[in-house]
Amino acid sequence: MADGHTHNSTAHQAHLSRRSALRLGGGIAAAGLGTLGLTACSGDGAGTGGLGGGSGSGAKGDPKKGEITVWSWQGPAAELKSLVPEFNKTNPGIKVTVQDIGNPAIWDKITAGMAAGGQGLADVLHIGVDYLPGYVERFPGGLADLAPLGATAHKDSFAQGLWGTVSPDNKRVNALPWEANSAGFYYRADIFEKAGVDPDALQTWDDTIEAGKKIKAKTGVHLLGIDKPASQPDAANLFQTLLQLQGVFYFDLEGRITLDSPEAVRALTLIRTMNDAGLVSDLAGGWNALMSSLKKGTNAVVPYPTWFGGIIEEQVPAESGKWRVRLPPAVRPGGPTAATVNSTHLAVAGSSRHQAAAWAFIEFALTRPASQVKIYRGKGIAPALMKAYEDNVFHEPSKYFGGQRKGEIFLAALKAKSPAVNYTSDYARALKLVTDAQSKVLLKGAEPAEVLAEAAAELARQTGRKAAK
Amino acid sequence: MTTLAPPVRETRTRPAPARRKRSGRAAPYLFVLPALLLFAAFKLYPIGWSFVMSLHRTVAGVDTFVGADNYARLLDDPLFWTALRNTGVILAVQVPLMLALATGLAVALNSTLLNGRSVFRLGFFLPMVTGLVAYGIAFSVLLNKEYGLVNWLLGGLGLDPVPWLTDGLWAQISLGLALTWHYTGYNAVILLARLQTVPAELYDAAAVDGAGALAAFRHVTLPGLRPALLLTTVLSTIGTLQLFDEPFVLTGGGPDNATLTIGVYLYRNAFSYFDFGYASALAYALTVLIGLLGLLQFRLLGDKS
Repeated sequence: MADGHTHNSTAHQAHLSRRSALRLGGGIAAAGLGTLGLTACSGDGAGTGGLGGGSGSGAKGDPKKGEITVWSWQGPAAELKSLVPEFNKTNPGIKVTVQDIGNPAIWDKITAGMAAGGQGLADVLHIGVDYLPGYVERFPGGLADLAPLGATAHKDSFAQGLWGTVSPDNKRVNALPWEANSAGFYYRADIFEKAGVDPDALQTWDDTIEAGKKIKAKTGVHLLGIDKPASQPDAANLFQTLLQLQGVFYFDLEGRITLDSPEAVRALTLIRTMNDAGLVSDLAGGWNALMSSLKKGTNAVVPYPTWFGGIIEEQVPAESGKWRVRLPPAVRPGGPTAATVNSTHLAVAGSSRHQAAAWAFIEFALTRPASQVKIYRGKGIAPALMKAYEDNVFHEPSKYFGGQRKGEIFLAALKAKSPAVNYTSDYARALKLVTDAQSKVLLKGAEPAEVLAEAAAELARQTGRKAAK
Repeated sequence: MTTLAPPVRETRTRPAPARRKRSGRAAPYLFVLPALLLFAAFKLYPIGWSFVMSLHRTVAGVDTFVGADNYARLLDDPLFWTALRNTGVILAVQVPLMLALATGLAVALNSTLLNGRSVFRLGFFLPMVTGLVAYGIAFSVLLNKEYGLVNWLLGGLGLDPVPWLTDGLWAQISLGLALTWHYTGYNAVILLARLQTVPAELYDAAAVDGAGALAAFRHVTLPGLRPALLLTTVLSTIGTLQLFDEPFVLTGGGPDNATLTIGVYLYRNAFSYFDFGYASALAYALTVLIGLLGLLQFRLLGDKS
């Protein structure tokens, strides 16, 4: 079928390979549109989950032998790859292939595999906290239970709160924590100095806005950047951090909707105040724009979590000594400045036929301090494994960050009391509504309280969840 | 009894031709069987199964039959209507503009006054050959407000940066520009092919009757193009309704759903929200719409005879 906006079938096939290289799911959905169905990628429905879902049909297999595939993205993928030779010294029978699927492409690829009842999935999957509950709830059996493989022994090894994320019922273990990222506040010390602002004196975000005005007036540099039209889902990173610094989230622990809470309104109002004062540069286009702004020095502050330090060092090596890091200011005077804003995990696919071998690799990568120390040295990825922090690398001064002990700063945050966060299986829907609400405020001058109330109502309509009031 | 018994001679002679006839009948079916099987496996089965899925909702991993609930939810979904409205705007504005442009282009490319026609024909058709995602990414880089080439050039002319992708209306314009760039040449080639079948005598006769260039275009070219115009209109309509790659890559459907299409919304429900039942219902709504619009266009533009 040839037509104006799609393409004839031969061109279609030619496009598919290119497209799938970028976004497998996009290709599938487009093909699905053409054939009018999504079943093309949803398997035969033979799994016990029924129509779309499928229960894993994998087997434990031999813990000493097998070929396993690992899906991750960019930096973490490179680090996992570098662990393989060491792993093979003690496990010569297991052949590990690490694939860099890319982020966010990996989520579509996992989703497609899960919907196909586990067809085509890798054995080990790297999954973020934002997707883990969704996969677990929507595709029962999609991830293998790690408890029978021995995961429960590591229960107390990880940063507090994280065991609840990977094992909500304290019995079944869906994954093992890898990264634990705390909210951070990376800033250009040279720009602060030029503007005559003391970054350590910033107690609250209100102070920060005042400082931003000074910086803008004296140096012309924006305080920070936000992807205003929300071209990527992470456009709401700052908003979410401001919520978590107040101990709330989009949902409460019972799964009720809280995204129009007074704390949320306060967070969005802070963002609007910054924007109205001309302190927010536009990072439309997402990641690429953020990297461009980093290189151009558009913003004095990047309020990103732990992992972003490694990105700064990698992207602008020439700016060594100009960057510093601290924990973010509090939202209210005297309020908390520590929040665990995200974590990532390794899971085993329920369909894997080498679950024991996959588990052996996970255990090697995530519960052995030496592995995590190596990964931190490589890409600055902060471990959830608390024992790893005994290593010197977390306590030595960082040359790039002007001699600061960056590892200790985030370790303090990890040790501070951080309230549990309930992402639920509807996080993606909530996030989409939140980013749209933020766009309305930043681009059209809408009222924070109003757009958040609308978003909460729409979320309730879409999910059938109750509001927490 | 005897009267019912067929004559012996006839029973003897019959089987041979009958067998020949039967195998003669089966042969065409055997020839189309591979295609039919492939069609059944990769088209018919998904089409049927997605209808079954559209009647289910997945709660905690268990599929529950919910009847027409997903369809009822559709009518009540503000984002579905937003997507439909956006699609309607593209249909009403971009498609006619693009087809008018393609018609003008076809006439120009058909003109004997034009030197190096094949070079121009190739040039205008080439965008069609580029991958959808590739050109989407190219446009999104070019149109970036702060770091894009287009705004840099506009800045050189002393103009303010245009929020190509960050303002709702501009994002719709950008999407329209990208679509026009990609598909105008393709439509022009279809129209050109038809144009070449219009006999030159008709133009001569029109000239004898005293028709100028404009009158000849109206009374000879356009009626001659009618079947090709119908084809390109119907195909563009289907393409617009199924629009996915461009908005997905260029704007992600944003800002604030200004460029959300049914395709993008369907994708989001299936692959971000894992709501395959609702996504299937969206696909069926889309099919019904395409069918209705196609029928309407055939009625309006089609040959009455």
